[in-house]
This record gives sequence, C-alpha cells and structure tokens, in this order.
Amino acid sequence: MAFNFNWSPLTADAGFYERARDLLTTALNKSPKPPIIVDDIFVTEFNLGSVPPDLEILEIGDLAEDRFRGIFKMCYSGDAFLTLKTRVQANPLNTYLSAKPNFTSPQPLAAASSLTIPLQITLSEIKLSAFIIVVFSKQKGLTLVFRNDPLESLKVSSTFDSIQFVRDYLQRTIEEKLRDLMMDELPAIIHRLSQQLWCPDQIAKEDEEQSKESDEHTINPLSTPPLDAVDANGHLLDPATISELSLDAGPEIMSLFSQSSLLKLDSMTTSQCTSSLETSAIQDAMFRAWTGGSEKVETSTPPLSTPNLVRSTSYNGSAHTYTFSDTASQDQGHLPSRPSMVSLNSATAGLSLGSGRNAKTGRKKKTRVVNLRRKATSEVNSEAGDDGSAETDSTATTPASEPVMSHPILEVPEEEMAMPSSSAAANKVRFGGSSDLPSQARRPSLRPEPVKVSEGSIPSAEIKSAAKSTLRYSHDQNQPAGPTLDVKADWGRSGRPQSDTSSVILEQAWIMKMAGEIARRVYDEKNRNPQLWAEADDSPPPAYEAR
Amino acid sequence: MREFMHYITNAFYGATGWNEDNTYKELNATARELIDFPLPRGLRLTLSSLATPHFATSYQLGSIGIVDGSISYLYSTVPLTAVAAQSEKIPLAALLRSYRRLHELGTKDRQWFWGAETPTGSTSQLPAAAILSQSPDKNRSSLLYGRLYLPQSLLEGLVVKRFSSALQVQLSAVSERSLRNGGTLLGLVQYDRGKYGIEGLASTDGGLLGIRGLYNFGGDASSGAGSQNGSGSTEGGEKERIYGRFSAGGELYYGTLNKSGGMSLGARFATLPTHRGTPLTATVTVNPLMGNINATYAVLAKDYCSLATRMEFNVYSYESEWAVGMELWSNRRPAGFLLGAVPIQQSEPEPEPPKKKERSFQAKLEWRLDDPEPEPPKPSKKSAKKEEYLGVLKARLDQNLRIGMLWEGRAKSLIFSLGTGIDLHMLGEPFRSLGLEIQYSS
Repeated sequence: MAFNFNWSPLTADAGFYERARDLLTTALNKSPKPPIIVDDIFVTEFNLGSVPPDLEILEIGDLAEDRFRGIFKMCYSGDAFLTLKTRVQANPLNTYLSAKPNFTSPQPLAAASSLTIPLQITLSEIKLSAFIIVVFSKQKGLTLVFRNDPLESLKVSSTFDSIQFVRDYLQRTIEEKLRDLMMDELPAIIHRLSQQLWCPDQIAKEDEEQSKESDEHTINPLSTPPLDAVDANGHLLDPATISELSLDAGPEIMSLFSQSSLLKLDSMTTSQCTSSLETSAIQDAMFRAWTGGSEKVETSTPPLSTPNLVRSTSYNGSAHTYTFSDTASQDQGHLPSRPSMVSLNSATAGLSLGSGRNAKTGRKKKTRVVNLRRKATSEVNSEAGDDGSAETDSTATTPASEPVMSHPILEVPEEEMAMPSSSAAANKVRFGGSSDLPSQARRPSLRPEPVKVSEGSIPSAEIKSAAKSTLRYSHDQNQPAGPTLDVKADWGRSGRPQSDTSSVILEQAWIMKMAGEIARRVYDEKNRNPQLWAEADDSPPPAYEAR
Repeated sequence: MREFMHYITNAFYGATGWNEDNTYKELNATARELIDFPLPRGLRLTLSSLATPHFATSYQLGSIGIVDGSISYLYSTVPLTAVAAQSEKIPLAALLRSYRRLHELGTKDRQWFWGAETPTGSTSQLPAAAILSQSPDKNRSSLLYGRLYLPQSLLEGLVVKRFSSALQVQLSAVSERSLRNGGTLLGLVQYDRGKYGIEGLASTDGGLLGIRGLYNFGGDASSGAGSQNGSGSTEGGEKERIYGRFSAGGELYYGTLNKSGGMSLGARFATLPTHRGTPLTATVTVNPLMGNINATYAVLAKDYCSLATRMEFNVYSYESEWAVGMELWSNRRPAGFLLGAVPIQQSEPEPEPPKKKERSFQAKLEWRLDDPEPEPPKPSKKSAKKEEYLGVLKARLDQNLRIGMLWEGRAKSLIFSLGTGIDLHMLGEPFRSLGLEIQYSS
C-alpha cells in the first residue's frame, strides 16, 4: 500500500518554512562545531520542492483512533534544497592549532592569524531511503525512528567548489552531520512537537511529576497480588490466573482487588450512609484524579519524567533502538511499562531489513493482529474483567506495547456462533505482511490452543460485524488461521446476543453475565490441563526486561 | 602571573646566559603580555619549592566546579643557588611585569643581565641574584621538567639542552589519551648569535616543519663593536642619535601530512635600555597569505605605568580588531588600590620643621647672611623605596567591549592574582568570569 501525498499545501502555509528554518537552525547549532566553522550556521533557504516522497507501508502493528504503530519504507529523490550560511576559518594553521595542546604548540607569531570567509552551502539532490518506525499515541505523542541510515546521497555545492580539498572536506563533514541530525535530532524534535500539539498538559505534568515523584517507589500491583484476590464481580481468583495478567494487558489490572480492600471500601460506603463516626482509612489508595490522564493504566506506570532519548543496543547487538523511557523507572529497575521502542525490534523482526536480524538469532517472530474494533465497544466491555485472562497471552507477550491496549473482547454475534467455520477462514488481518509469516513467526508461548482461539475469534467477529455495516475491512482477509481451527468451534459455542443493537444497559448486564461465564470456562480449561497454562506464562524476552 | 616553574625556567635561562627574547616568536611579546594576559578562573592554589639548587617542585590545586590539580618537577644541572624562590622575596617584577626591555645582544662571555646596570632594579625580567659566576660547564647545562595533570592524566614533559653558547635544543611532549596517537612531540633547535637568531622546529602532529628567524640591526647591533659597547653612554653623539634597535624576521611553516602551510613577516623597533627617554616598542607583522596586518605599540610611560595598543586588519575580509591594555604598579600596600591602606611614605617620620636659626653674631657684624649650610645628603632610601612595588593592576579592553581586569600583588608571603572578565554588552550579567590564584613558594 502506498500513499498519495498532497505535497503542495505544505508550501501554501506561509509560516511553515519559517518555522522549519528556525528548527533547523537550532538543531544545527546544537552540537559542538568543528574548529573550521567559526560562526553559527544559519538556514537561509529551505524548500521542499515539488516531488513528494514515496511512502510504503510495510507493516502496521497497532491501529486505533488514538494510537498507531507501523513501519514504513520511504524513498525520496526530489528537488528539495537547503541553503546554509556560516563563516569558516580559511587559515589551515589556525584550525590546526585550535585543537592542539598549548604546551607543544609551535606558537607561531602571526602565521596563524585568522581569516574568516563567509560560506554559503547548498544541499540539493538529496536522496533518502529509509525504514521508518512510527509510533503514535495520544498520550505520548508521535515517535519516529529511522531503522537505518536514511541518507543515501547528497550534493553539496558551496562557494569553494573550485578547490578540491575544501569541497571534499565539506561534503564529508556535512554528510556526517546530516546523518547525526536525522538519526539523533529529528526524532527528538518530532516527539517534542507532537507533544506540544496533542498533549500540552503532558509536558507540564512531566516536569512536576519528575520532581515530585522521582524517587517514589512504584509498585507493580501484579507482582505482589493480594492473597485473597477477587475480580470485579467478586469471584475468587486463582493465583495462577493472576500470574497470567500483566500490566500491559490494559484494564485487567483494575479488576484485580483484594477482598479485604473491597470489604473496607464497603464499610466506608456504609459508614457514609449511616453517618457513623468511624470512617476507616484506606491506605495505599490511589485516586483516579491524581493520574491526570483518562487512562487507568497510568496508575501502574512508573512516574512520568522527561522522556530521554536513549540509544541502546538491542540484545542481538546489531541495530540501534531509541527508547523514550523513564529515568525513574530505569533507576529503580522496574519493568518499563511505558511504550518503548525496544518492542519494535520484535515488530520488525519479520522484515529482513538487512541489519543482521534474522532467524538465526533464535528470536521467535511474532504475529501482529490488527485491532480494528471501535473504541466504544471496548469501553463497554471494560468491566468484563477476567474474560481477558484468556486473551492476555496475546498481549502479554508484547509487554512494551501501548499502555491502553484495547480491551480484548469476545463479542461474537449470535449468528456468528452458528457458523464458526466461516469465520475461521479469515481471521488474520494483515497489511502487506508476507504470507509465510504466521507459520514461522509463532512464539512458543503462543502455541497453546486457547490463545489461538481467542486470537482467531476476535478478528472474525469484527470482520463480520463490520461487513454488516460498511464492509470497511473486507480486504486482506486472506490469511489462513493455521493450526487453530479445530479448537475454535468449541469456543465459538458460547452464544451471545448481538451487542450492537441492544441498549447499553442490556449490553452491560449481558456482558457481566458473559464475563462470569468466560471466567468460569477459563478456569475450567485451566484445570483441565494446567501445564499448558503454566507454559503460557512466559517471561518476556531479554530486550523487554527492565534495564 | 607567571607560574613558578616558568619563573624557574627563566632563571635557568638567566643562569646559563641564554637570551630567550632573541627569537622571532617573542617579537611582540611586550604588547601580547600587556593585552592578552590570562585571567584566572575559579580558585587555584600553588605550593612551590626550590628544594635544592637543582630541584624544584610545584603542586597546584584548582577548582572550577570540579577539583583538579597538577604535580610538576624540575631538575636543572645548573645550580640555581642565587635565585630568590621564597614568595616573600621573589621580585614581583620578575613574576608580574609585562613590559620587556631589550636584552643586550651577544651572550658570549659577557654579563648577560642588564638589570644590574639600571638604577631601578625593578624592571628586571629576572632577579639580580640570578647572575651567576661563570661556570665552565655552563654551555653543557640541561633542564628537565615534567608535569602531570591529575584528573585528565595529561603529562607534559620538557627537556632543554644547551650544546654550546649559541645552540640550544628544546624537546617538549604532551601525552594524553584523547590526542591522536596518544600524544605529540615538538622539537625546537635554537641558534642565537646575538645579531640574529634562528629556530627550526618539527612537530609530530601533522608532520609540521617550521623555521623562523630574527635579525637585529641598527642601534647597538649596527656595528660589530656595537654589541660590545651596548651600554653606549660612552659612545657620544652618534650613538645617542640612534637610541633603539630594529629587528626584522619571518617564519615559515609547512605541514607535511596535511599539505598546508603558513608564514608571516615582522619588524620591530624598540628603544634600548640605555635610552633616557620613554621606552617604547612598536611592531608590525604581516601575513601575506591571509592578508593580515597586525601593529602593536607599547610604551613604558612611567616606571609604574605601561600602555599598549594593538590594531589588526585583514585586507581580504576587511575585518579589523583593536585592543588596549594597561598596567599600573603601586607601591602602596597590596590592598591599597581598593581599600586605601596607608601608603608607605606615611610610615617614615615627618620631616621636622626647619629651625628658625638666629643669624650668627659674626654674620651680623659683617652685614651679611649666614653661609648656606651644607645640605644633608638625600637619603638613597627614596629610590630604594620607589622600586618596592607591592601590587599591580592590569586591564584590557577590546573592540567587543570586553574588559579584563587583573589585580596582582603580594600579601604577607603569598602572591595573589585576582581577575575578572567583564562584558559590557551584557549589562544584566556583566561578570563573565572570576578567579583567584594564590601562590606560595619556599
């Protein structure tokens, strides 16, 4: 799939080039300059040209209204140009001496006197070819990372074109600088810009929370579950079930309460009703208002701080990844539950990007399921606590995914249940993925059948309901479900009413009921073959672990 | 403030009779030191000692945010017995004075040190005590110097070896991890015949080769006998007319590895020490490759006041620069500049009011006044006191309206240097740097 860029409106915006010039000027003057450049570098002209870049979607890892993650391939060979102005030192002896220790300097009297020459450099015929990873979420802004060195070639023309030595030097230096700019500065600039655009409160909050909670100990509520854990419906949960839940599974953690806490809450509520003088205090309570954002998962994230760009080498040591991560969470050695670019290593694992990442590394590849359901339904279902316990495996293996994973639901229309085999044929929605991916990309932790079933049944339900309304997602339904067909029927038998048509209250009541039933089924299933579930509880791959 | 090791090295040159000013590198040293004096930054303490006449140590501790320091050792084959190393005895002029008077040409078999000839010994570059008895092995002397900067692990080394009265070789090296190849080495061969001095140098960094030379003419260098009678007071009218010395020289560098080079030409006129007028030094240097013209003018307006200006102009880029520098000595107490302490003059007893004498009877009889009494001899203390400067204020100003101020002096037995840099363009926060250096030596 490719994009059709409408390139000219960019130039229509009068303020755009000015803003871009300012940004580029700041970025170019940020790092220390070589001694031959004696003045600031000013961007005087900047034009994007008329030829848009080619952008190709390679893979979409996640897609919803408020978030997006995908990998693109960008090629550009247009007529954009950039003109810089600066002043350079023309005396080679002067630049020679500037970096040398004074003690062994020959100390020339006047031979090193400076002669600065204004220099104008035009960069044109820029050829770019890059794999771009884009992660967007409304809370965290836009993160854009180049997987490889984007700069292919570049023509540098300057006032010194007649002098071979100077021209070569300039070409070399500028290419080097531009690479640094693209790889290091550009992601940071874009991230900051997007934060200003989408979440201006985030920036202020980051600052204050960094100072306030920098050393506050963050607790993973799932690492130490309460002894008498109940779910939202009051059903007792098995400790083994709790271990299936993970922080990244989204709202499930909210459904995990200690029974004693619930009793305390209850007593407090009744004390308010009866105007009793004794009001029991609840310790270690965190109120939703504190977290600021609308996301419940915020309670489990480490304190926000300024995302710093960490260049880390992934565990197979070949590619650089950029991580917007918390300093606090790193300091305390917690599992980074914030969106981390490290996870994209696995997302790109299926692509042969020529960076030494291949099947030999022993890394199991992973399938991505595009989650195309609407948000409203997931919100409705958010109370349906532990029905996600079966689903969790599909998301738990991506621990660094977006914090707001849409709640996995088993919202299958009733007529769907009658013909599960029809949905089994088309359950993987995949953009541009190679056809051999699902078979070889299975993680062992995904092998268990119930997981497959849940994975398989969600998209099928979605597709069916969507096809009924607008046929939006009718494309791409050509992936076979693989080895999950036989078990699916048994899962699909859990009949459910059509939730789209029912009113919200009815829906909720029904969902409650369904959640209970699913929890029971899961529990039964687990009791039937416990070793299968134990296996499903997989520790995250090393790259996801907290550093 | 010159560092203690620099002072000792100068004393070594003095002891071996080497005129380190007779080189093209030092052509405009006077103006450079008057204008480009280094400003201290942060706090810096130096403890130094000339432990034996051959051996000196210096420990330095500095703090600019981070604490750093250095250890340095110096060994000289020539005994520096007569050098005043105690910080209460070091002549301040040797450490602090910027204006350099000309040394006499011709170092062979002559007392090199001119300071003893002038009545005010304060202008001496080196302590008078450094005059040595002529030792026979003076011409084979050598000096070793090493310095280790501690947090950076930077090592400096210097070897000075004298081969004959006119030939000296210097080898300096720096070793540091961040440098390419781990360090650099600079070799310097100096040949000084008095009338001319030639230097050849080679550096491992970039394979730099260089040669520079200085030729003296006019004044005491005009005739062959001139160098012998440098004091010139006996020569009479012709010598009086030409009261200065001209010097001209040039330098040429070529980097064999990076195929780049540089050159410059320069000329200087400086008055001889025997000149009774205002001592002045004027230099012009030209860099024909880069189109740079640099002119300096320095004058010792009074014994306590030196002034210097510098103009720079580039004929290719039309860039110009100017800078002025000033040096003001005070013989008051070190704090006298700011705190208005009691000047020394007030400590001496008030001259008693002249007694109203009766005219002698004899004089009355002869209808005449008394014979004028022979005046008491003027105390020579006046001149001795005059040279006893206790502090100096240095200031500079350049075309960017940046001011550098440095106040140096002696308090008890500590030599201090307090400096600040002021930027008049940023009036909101004018003080760009502040520093204090304290040196104690024994």
